[in-house]
Amino acid sequence: MNTEHFLEVRGLKKYFDAGRPRLFSREARFVHAVDDVSFSLRHSEVIALVGESGCGKSTLSLLLMGLEEPTEGSIFFEGRDITHLKESERKELRRKIQMVFQDPYESLNPTQTIEEIINEPLLVHGIAKDKRERDERVMKAMEDAGLKPAEVYLSRFPHELSGGQRQRVVIAAALVLEPEILLADEPVSMLDVSIRAEIINLLAELRITRQIAVIFITHDLGSVGFFADRVAVMYLGRIVEIGTMLEVLEKPKHPYTKALISVIPVPNPRLRHERIILQGETPNPIDVPKGCRFHPRCPVAIAICKDSDPPSVTLSKTHSAACLLLVK
Amino acid sequence: MNRTRTLLKKLAWSIFTILFVIVLNFFLFRVLPGDPARAGVRDPRLKKEAVEMLRVRFGLDKPVINCFESLNPIKLGSCTVNPLDTQFFIYVRNLLQGELGISYHTNRPVADILAERLWNTVLLIGAGQILSIMIGVVFGVFAAWKARTAIDYSAVITSLMAWSLPTFWLAILLLFWGSNNGLPLAGKATPGSSALPLLQQWADIGIHMILPTLTYTIIYMGEYTLIMRSSLMDVLSEDYILTAKAKGLSTFQILKDHALKNAMLPLVTVIAINLGFTVAGAIQIEAVFSWPGLGLAIFEAVGRRDFPVLQGAFVLIAIAVIFANFLADLTYNYLDPRVQTE
Amino acid sequence: METTIKVIEPKNQWADRLLNFWRVFSKSRIGIVGLVMLMVIVLMAIFAPAIAPYDSSSSASVEIDDIYNPPNSVHWFGTDDAGQDVFSNFVFGARVSLTVGFFAAFISIIIGGVTGLVAGYFGGRWENVLMRITDIMLVIPDLPLMVVIVALTQPSLLNIIFVIGLLGWTTTARVVRSQTLAVKSRKFVLRARAVGAGNGHIISRHILPLVMPILVVQGVLVVSLAILNESALSFLGLGDPTALSWGQMLNYAFGRGAMSIGAWWALLFPGFGIVWVVLGLTLLGQGLEQVLNPRLDTHHLLPGRPAIQRGHVESRQAKGALLEVQNLSINYINEGKPAARAVEDVSFTLNKGELIGLVGESGCGKTTLMLSLLRLLPSAGQIVNGRVFFNGQDLTAISDEELNLVRWKEISIVFQGAMNALNPVRTVGDQIAEAIIKHMPAIDHDKLQVRVIELLDLVGIAADHKEQYPHQYSGGMRQRAMIAMALACDPQVIIADEPTTALDVMIQAQILELLDSLRRKLGLAIIFVTHDLGVVAEICDRVLVMYGGVTAEYADVDTIYNEARHPYTQELLKAFPDLTKPKKKLSSIPGYPPRLEALPAGCRFAPRCPAAFDRCHTEQPSLSEIGEMHFASCHLIEASK
Repeated sequence: MNTEHFLEVRGLKKYFDAGRPRLFSREARFVHAVDDVSFSLRHSEVIALVGESGCGKSTLSLLLMGLEEPTEGSIFFEGRDITHLKESERKELRRKIQMVFQDPYESLNPTQTIEEIINEPLLVHGIAKDKRERDERVMKAMEDAGLKPAEVYLSRFPHELSGGQRQRVVIAAALVLEPEILLADEPVSMLDVSIRAEIINLLAELRITRQIAVIFITHDLGSVGFFADRVAVMYLGRIVEIGTMLEVLEKPKHPYTKALISVIPVPNPRLRHERIILQGETPNPIDVPKGCRFHPRCPVAIAICKDSDPPSVTLSKTHSAACLLLVK
Repeated sequence: MNRTRTLLKKLAWSIFTILFVIVLNFFLFRVLPGDPARAGVRDPRLKKEAVEMLRVRFGLDKPVINCFESLNPIKLGSCTVNPLDTQFFIYVRNLLQGELGISYHTNRPVADILAERLWNTVLLIGAGQILSIMIGVVFGVFAAWKARTAIDYSAVITSLMAWSLPTFWLAILLLFWGSNNGLPLAGKATPGSSALPLLQQWADIGIHMILPTLTYTIIYMGEYTLIMRSSLMDVLSEDYILTAKAKGLSTFQILKDHALKNAMLPLVTVIAINLGFTVAGAIQIEAVFSWPGLGLAIFEAVGRRDFPVLQGAFVLIAIAVIFANFLADLTYNYLDPRVQTE
Repeated sequence: METTIKVIEPKNQWADRLLNFWRVFSKSRIGIVGLVMLMVIVLMAIFAPAIAPYDSSSSASVEIDDIYNPPNSVHWFGTDDAGQDVFSNFVFGARVSLTVGFFAAFISIIIGGVTGLVAGYFGGRWENVLMRITDIMLVIPDLPLMVVIVALTQPSLLNIIFVIGLLGWTTTARVVRSQTLAVKSRKFVLRARAVGAGNGHIISRHILPLVMPILVVQGVLVVSLAILNESALSFLGLGDPTALSWGQMLNYAFGRGAMSIGAWWALLFPGFGIVWVVLGLTLLGQGLEQVLNPRLDTHHLLPGRPAIQRGHVESRQAKGALLEVQNLSINYINEGKPAARAVEDVSFTLNKGELIGLVGESGCGKTTLMLSLLRLLPSAGQIVNGRVFFNGQDLTAISDEELNLVRWKEISIVFQGAMNALNPVRTVGDQIAEAIIKHMPAIDHDKLQVRVIELLDLVGIAADHKEQYPHQYSGGMRQRAMIAMALACDPQVIIADEPTTALDVMIQAQILELLDSLRRKLGLAIIFVTHDLGVVAEICDRVLVMYGGVTAEYADVDTIYNEARHPYTQELLKAFPDLTKPKKKLSSIPGYPPRLEALPAGCRFAPRCPAAFDRCHTEQPSLSEIGEMHFASCHLIEASK
């Protein structure tokens, strides 16, 4: 086991029971939400998981948080297998992996004050029992999350804050436990473009000041270029391409990644460019296409794509993609 | 396909609920101490032979169910008893044959007494439901459409007041009012009217129905108004109403084509849930106006401690409500495409 | 910035919250009336011995003349069948009715609350079993069952309380369960679990505080139902003979000839007591509901406010323009509060076949502006100045009937969330056809069907989806269907209000391409509303940047992206992630857009503007022309001129 990789995911699968198609039908159907995903994370590294809705990225984040049990595969944290832990064993671990959710309007309890919200993780874990120490940690987390001066916010309620401020409160509530990994599930997609930048900047700052590794989940490749070290592109429950940020954004090899990059809106009419617009929509993860799962929408698919599932092809030490056209 | 599945599920569920009611009914009348038949058996003044005679007369000599001599759990009986020869099985068999026992009071079969009364109750509830739903829907639509105007406020306040009225008390008030206006106050028909031609008989029944139906309508109309209003308010705030408005449809077209059906759906659910409660209203109304329905039967049976009638009426009402509830569910499934085609 | 960390003072938060609650509740007139009505009866019950002129058991010395005396100066409410003082019995009866009501409701609320909470929170097998039981109990008619049980046991007060309590919890269980489910599915519960909180913590800190309001309202309702049930049981002859409740009084009076004697007082007053209490509780419940679960009683069919014109406005349309908006200002009127100036003095022109982008952050008045063009504003919104010219007609001044001929026929809208903008219980084809029938009533059935299929084909939906309902469509298909519907009557203008915001990038690209190609094919003019400058750059001819309800900058698309003059436009562009120019840090605009009801005195962008100077904080800049077809409102530009 590579000690450098303090979080490692191997062959992770999560199938949800989708019920039977008919009343007395024998075969059960499954949603293949996450279907054989492997990757690893180094200390204070930022990895971006990119994909459209239905690609399994949110299920993956719940699996990593231990909020869902994987069907198969394993997750290692600091060399320890944490795939199937009892809730009592997991509690200690939860301090080290914290999560930021998509919708800051939904992820704060409207009846709690900001102080109660940020203090709650300390209460749950019974740390910093001394009031002074607790207040110090709360204030520190708030200021690190950019809620300055902290006193102003303490007794307010979430509805008195703007969307960006709320997302900062969520981040502060995660920071208060001094985690080592921050799992950010679409933290900016509900925010206006102008606010997105400051939240992304905040996350980028945190990995430097607090040495936090960030798993950044998003559907928007355009927003990852600024601080991700590595990018993994997901399609229908599987990683189809993974590599460093520059490798994926500048030399994409998988046709899906190429298409995703081509449709990122460019804010300059003089740079209007050719876009690869895929037809149709991501298929239902109940009926995953045979062969390469991307072939029905792939603009460059060839005959064998219908039959064989492409293996992951290593392109460099850090870069690999799962496409039959790359197999030589 | 899925529609059939939902239907079968509901049907199975209704049947299960009916079975539950039947079992509940059996045990209620055997666990609770009130039934004079069993009270008589325990009377210390009776001779042993007399007790034995009573036990055989009421079937109490048989074990309650297989393995149990009585409902006292310590009194375990032999498990070799033929299950067909237990009190419970005999009760179920009788029920299936439509036999509900003999009235203590009139010595007539309970089934006969109730059979003639069931339809009177159905008539009263049917007429009352139709009227209160119609009025409730109309009031509710106007209140929601003219929200925050005098029309709206008066509809809401009137509805809240109607909701707060005890049914039997309103019935008594209307009885007073009716007696001053020459309306018939009691019963279903004028004595001797059966000699009249059919049309006049019906008219006679109709006049007798006025006060009970009016009571029923006032009591339940308020609730339907409030539900229709809030449901329509929700629908009218939806984006698709704005779409309809943007399409250039007139207010009337929007209400008719986009709002009413959507708003009626929650109402159908409430009507289904409410059926059990509306029976309560019918009992009180029948008691006051001596309307010869199941409610009056219950009222009289309570006064006379006529337990076989009470037991029979309860089972019959429960089954009828469960059945009506099933029909309401079916209607809902039929009306809402989201259920059919998921 | 001070570095000393202040110790947070422990505050009495519960007292604070209670006081806060009272402040809001006291504004609910209906709730206060209900509370007062209830308190009157509760006080009467508590001080019954002091109020009642006679002891309730003083019937020993009753003479035959005392029976059914009408109300007089000695017996205010008259006497009953036993010669007792009705007023005294009425006062003491309140005790019985309230006792039964409160205790029975207490039992119901506890059982129903726990059942609903456990079923909703833990789900799975627990939920199945508990909800099945609840469903059975709900279907079985409750009064007949109560009658059977009370008749079989001793009709004592205690039995009645237990029977009503044990049978009256079903609706509470259902209500609590659905509320628990709703709260549980919210993200903050997931967040608490991710932090490591156990079930006990989550239930007490997150679920209960949000279920409580519903439970309180439900509790008030259950008390009133219990009182009604007690009176019905008593009236049917199953009351406790030793405790004279109002229902019991009515039972005696009705059963013992009050009707035939005409002793209306023996029947009127006890019933009046029941109505009083139940109405009080009902009003209190309504008041609490208004405060605890506030709903806006507004909807799209409330009459709009007529447009008003103040000041000098050009009242003719410029030649050649298809749609011209002149100095449009819109306020939201809130009772007792200053009007919110949502849109102020916005003008723009749309020519045939043109695509204009309307850009701004949320809350900057974009949607308000678009809705006002077809007078679709919510009832609080009012056009307080300006005109909207379409083909020479002032849309702010024509009648509703005339406007209905323009709506959809000439100008149609593609709304943001197609899921909500389509009626869920009508097929998509039917909803498209409806628009055609409205504006071409003479069209025959076959032609109509052909046209619907043609429209669906135009947006890339196969004809066999025509008879499907919106929920059977995917997100992208719904937005396509919405576009097909917008095209139904061959309009000249389409307003697309954030049509791609909720969609994935690939679907967004598909929709943008579709709109662009339709515009070229059909010569449509489109107003495209978005908060995303990147999207605008791809397809628009001209861009109007709004900030806080006013025009910040208005120019053709190339100028906006390459020669923007307004600091807001410049900052917006800098904040945009741009793959083609990699850099490590994104620039962001500090602060947040202003709240419309508390706008700054000077320039609305001044508090966030990196270049603001004194004048910006005191004086609002006016829109000035800086070049050909390039306008901006900024003091800097005026100063540099």
